Amino acid sequence: MAIDVSKIIHAVMEGSKIRESKGIIPLFGVYLSLFSVYYYNRLSFDFEIKMGKPREAEARALLIKAAQECGYATFQGIRDSWEWQQVVAPMVENQEDQILGFVAVAVAFGWGDLAVEELVPGEKLVIRANDSYEARGYLEQYGPAKSEKCYMLRGVAGAFMDLIYGSDYPDGLYAFSALETCCRAKGDTCCEFIARKSPYRPNA
Amino acid sequence: MTIFDWRNELNRDGHRVVISGQPIAMHCHHYNINLQKTMEETLGTEGVELLYRSAEETNYHSLQHLFNHYNKIRTLKSKLEMASLLYQNCGLGIIHFRKVRPNLAYIASTSSHHVTGWLAKHGRRDTPGCHFTRGWIAGALEVIYQRPLGYYIVEELRCKMKRDEECVFHVKER
Repeated sequence: MAIDVSKIIHAVMEGSKIRESKGIIPLFGVYLSLFSVYYYNRLSFDFEIKMGKPREAEARALLIKAAQECGYATFQGIRDSWEWQQVVAPMVENQEDQILGFVAVAVAFGWGDLAVEELVPGEKLVIRANDSYEARGYLEQYGPAKSEKCYMLRGVAGAFMDLIYGSDYPDGLYAFSALETCCRAKGDTCCEFIARKSPYRPNA
Repeated sequence: MTIFDWRNELNRDGHRVVISGQPIAMHCHHYNINLQKTMEETLGTEGVELLYRSAEETNYHSLQHLFNHYNKIRTLKSKLEMASLLYQNCGLGIIHFRKVRPNLAYIASTSSHHVTGWLAKHGRRDTPGCHFTRGWIAGALEVIYQRPLGYYIVEELRCKMKRDEECVFHVKER
């Protein structure tokens, strides 16, 4: 059975309208918040600016690391959740389907129109987006970029591979790392993320 | 009184998720708290200020848009009610506007996404940590009282991240 993206989007949209009495949204095993993309873009890109030219690479690495750690913990929670078991698991026939399920959840979360272009089991994942909130936000708020800007999605692409082909949770983090090979923020036609086995493991 | 129909405001516009037409992203406590920790540890007070300002500006523009859209919401009480409802429905927690004047306010939060997330990931901390909520409150009151961005300063007097019973915020003119 193929992964039905619209079914997953529907489940996330319906679930995100249910919150408990404390104003918290517990969904897919995590606490969800809904907030303007402007906030996330302002925070990331101004962080990069405040770090300045000499610390530009460090700023990017920190933002990607924050996202990869998040993606690893978040999607581990998601695949362990009751909602995943009910909605997604019946469509999953192999490990590769899990990645398609993860990508569908990311689309449901409003991160962009992500699609898996290529998946070589245990080796390589290629994800493309014609529209991500990071690239669009950068263009709108800062104008054309000189380098790729989708730090969150880049970290998350690595985390997807960590969860499926890395060591058992929680030891598989950073087994893979992703590059953003093209980005709409710098004038490319789409954003593309390629995750492969990491040559090194940060902080390992 | 139902101020606005929340369930109809949260929608999809193609692959984007929108609230009253404004694009939003769903993120979980892992990401929000990772971002906060990264800002605090890397930039110190400048990072805290960035978290505060980003939330302030964003909420200012979001609420401005909502108040323009729902132009029958005019009184202070109904505007505060709508702001609380927005906070709650965005999964950010519960906020009580206890005493609100144009030059001074006391606000309490008995539950919050950031507190729940911080405690789940890192446990108790020694300093107040609701920088997002401080900025969110500043932006909300600046819109409601039609003041410019940065007009108010919000301090957190008590914080559940420190295991205080509730988070208490004091608002004053800058």
